[in-house]
Amino acid sequence: MIASVPLPIDLQDVTKRYRGARGVEHVDLEVPSGRVFAFLGPNGAGKTTTIRILLDLIRPDSGAVRLFGQDLRSHSVEIRRRIGYLPGDLSLYENLTARELLTHFAHLRRGPPWSSIEELTARFDLQVDRPIRTLSKGNRQKVGLVQALMGRPELVILDEPTSGLDPLVQAEVHQLVRDVARDGRTVFLSSHVLSEVGEVADQVGIIRDGVMVAVEEVAALRRRAVHYVDVRFGGGVVPEALTTLDGVARRPSAASEVRLVVTGPLHPLLAVLSGAEVEDLTIREPDLEDIFFTFMSNNRGSPGDETGTRVVA
Amino acid sequence: MRPGPVSSLRRPVVLRSVLHRALHEHRRSVLAWSSSLFTLVVMVAAVFPTIRGNQQIVKLYDNYPKALRSLFGITDLTTGPGYMNAEIFSLMAPLLVIVFAVLWGGDLISGEEERGTMDILLANPISRRRLLIEKWAALAAGSTMAGAALAAGLAFASPIFGLGISVEGAAAAVVSVVLLGLLYGTVALAVGATTGHRGLARGATTGLAVAAYLISSLAGLVGWLKPVRPLSPWYHALGTDPLTHGFVGVHLLVLPLLTAALLIGSVYFFDRRDLAV
Repeated sequence: MIASVPLPIDLQDVTKRYRGARGVEHVDLEVPSGRVFAFLGPNGAGKTTTIRILLDLIRPDSGAVRLFGQDLRSHSVEIRRRIGYLPGDLSLYENLTARELLTHFAHLRRGPPWSSIEELTARFDLQVDRPIRTLSKGNRQKVGLVQALMGRPELVILDEPTSGLDPLVQAEVHQLVRDVARDGRTVFLSSHVLSEVGEVADQVGIIRDGVMVAVEEVAALRRRAVHYVDVRFGGGVVPEALTTLDGVARRPSAASEVRLVVTGPLHPLLAVLSGAEVEDLTIREPDLEDIFFTFMSNNRGSPGDETGTRVVA
Repeated sequence: MRPGPVSSLRRPVVLRSVLHRALHEHRRSVLAWSSSLFTLVVMVAAVFPTIRGNQQIVKLYDNYPKALRSLFGITDLTTGPGYMNAEIFSLMAPLLVIVFAVLWGGDLISGEEERGTMDILLANPISRRRLLIEKWAALAAGSTMAGAALAAGLAFASPIFGLGISVEGAAAAVVSVVLLGLLYGTVALAVGATTGHRGLARGATTGLAVAAYLISSLAGLVGWLKPVRPLSPWYHALGTDPLTHGFVGVHLLVLPLLTAALLIGSVYFFDRRDLAV
């Protein structure tokens, strides 16, 4: 009847309080399909709590939880059939081999044949016939990832998917995440590593102290980006005009060097610099971490308050 | 393709369900308990010919204080059923089967939570009700195995050592012990499923089982205990000496009814609570 495709994830005003521990407060979260949504926040901010609510492992005190347009509580099994999940704190059946665990879960899902699971294990170069207790942390994480991705679930929920993995495997995971999205499927992943979010996500939700602070397009975050410009002047003479330019602010630096944060176009700065005795010049895009902090302090500061001068440690 | 020498790899087990995995995980434990119970029955039975022929020993038991005789279910040591009831079926066999079932039952749900595997298990599309019932079915199968070992022990030892135990008596005693063990295993499962704490599940259930045993066995001596005796599952299971008298009345029905009620209750509470991380 309704023409629009139901949202894979739709939380409205969800609150979960724990005795003695912080939960989440009034969380609204809408994740459209075919996207990679990154859930970003420091440890203990409520990421895992929210994710465990999505899996019907814990129940919110109030609010509505709908997945694929259905109420989670009353359609729990149907909904979970469409989800693949990697827990943040991964525990597996130690005495089973990876093959046994994966075929066990495949049976519980009445699902994927071994041949399709094997594509994933081969991609991760996972040894499937050794007991899980003999595997390294990285290999266990691979087992967790394979069981989350097998059977091509419509929604893949990954809680800190790359923790404990070496950089090569991390890159493999990022590629898998992008592949899932290219399929038109949805990925919801949590992370406290911003570079990872920049690597894979289309959209980012920021949570702090159990409260959703913001939901932003990663591309929009980037557009609002600033540039870092480091200049070393011959003879240590700093042109006067530098400090009066719009959108240019200084960052603390060693005496021999001037570090600037430039918001907006670069050409007014370059015009000034072209008349100066520039010995060395570096321009770089700040990583997502810098953008993120700019964003956060913007949100906290008064509107229009330029925060390019944020102290960078 | 396979890493390492093939000889070091066991054949992979295909676990089709939670029930299947529960049985697989406990296969060694079930085997060990069952063979111990079988051995126990046979070894105790082997002593019977000596006891029967020895009036001094019989007199020694007769001189036991009444309280002790009641506590250990000693009635008539000169008959096979009376002897086996006193030595095994009034305390030892039910106690062992209860311990086996409580250890396992207490672990079935809360063990997965404490080991952290519940999250990944319940991310699969199975309902909590189904999970709990399959786990319980594994417990029931394991308890039945233990009972089968007791039955096998009786069937093996009775003709050899002249115990003269009837088929009905053996069946009644074994079924009673199994139902009693399963009941307490279900109590432990219920406490674990409701609270998520394995230690509590095992400890509280053991306490209940001991209390119920004392009520049942001492009620014959202590007047004020008599009215509360029907509260003890031990009384319904073994109070009538099933080895001698076979199935008696409706007593045995109390146990499966209680078990079913506990199972329904644990589904209700397990389905409604937050799972531990």
